[in-house]
Amino acid sequence: MLMKTYFLDPVNVILVHIPDGYLDPISAGVTWAVMLAYGYYAYRRSELQRHMELAISLAAAIFIAQMLNWPIPGGTSLHLVCGALAAILLGPFVAFFVLLLVLLVQTLVFHDGGITTLGANVINMGVMAPLVGYAAYKALRPRVGVFWSAFAAGWASITVAGIAAGLEIGLSPWFPYGWTISVPVMAGWHALLGLVEGAITGFVALYLSKRTPEYVRL
Amino acid sequence: MTRRFLILLIALALLSPVFGVWLANLINYHEPLDVAADLINQAANRTVLNDTRYQMNWTPFIDYTVPGLPDWAGYIASAFIGLAIYFLLYTALMRWRRVKRIG
Repeated sequence: MLMKTYFLDPVNVILVHIPDGYLDPISAGVTWAVMLAYGYYAYRRSELQRHMELAISLAAAIFIAQMLNWPIPGGTSLHLVCGALAAILLGPFVAFFVLLLVLLVQTLVFHDGGITTLGANVINMGVMAPLVGYAAYKALRPRVGVFWSAFAAGWASITVAGIAAGLEIGLSPWFPYGWTISVPVMAGWHALLGLVEGAITGFVALYLSKRTPEYVRL
Repeated sequence: MTRRFLILLIALALLSPVFGVWLANLINYHEPLDVAADLINQAANRTVLNDTRYQMNWTPFIDYTVPGLPDWAGYIASAFIGLAIYFLLYTALMRWRRVKRIG
């Protein structure tokens, strides 16, 4: 009951880097395996060599952007993930490596997120967010223009990343409340919080498409 | 990395403690999953979820702090440590490309 109350409080369900100790060894192993397999697939599908300079520059920018936490009254904060933005600029497969670079520095240097949970964190922010953001932007771009398609991409990327995080936490036997509680609540609140990510993704995509269109892949 | 881009990143790094430290202290920030763990452990009256961050720590810069520096300065230093890593990676890539082209 206490946990349900906790989850129903919007300030407590914001996507964060999952620390060590929250996923059991099997969940950690499976998420690591998925991350490595997707990484191999993404490397084969992307032209990473060609986009390396831009990928590293974007990783630096996202690292700094994620340090700018927006406080929310009640004791927590939210920050950008930028998975959709990276996918709009470089495609979803190079975006995976951008977010991987960000998460590696955050985890290894600043212990923001765990090593056992790195696979889960990369799946949420480096796989799900870019793939969903890319698909949404590509589908909507011809109909509603750059801003609104990027807005929808940013919103959808955070919502789906929240669902993925809810699923990972809910399916781990170390978390005493199942996915039937964690997924709907995480999805609901992330859909609301995704509006901020959507707005910022929309403005940045619109700015870049006007000022430096060569950097916008789609 | 153009000069304008670097200036933007440096400006954001200098600005970052306003968000990451000052405003976080103002709202009494706690990591959401830490709060979740405390509530679950409290409800179960035993340790169900255990954040092992501090027992198994491998870095002096945990949570964007630098030993001996106040939080705001540590946060700025952390931002520059992160940027330095990406800058070194970028420079190494450029040098490797140049060597490859010449060789």
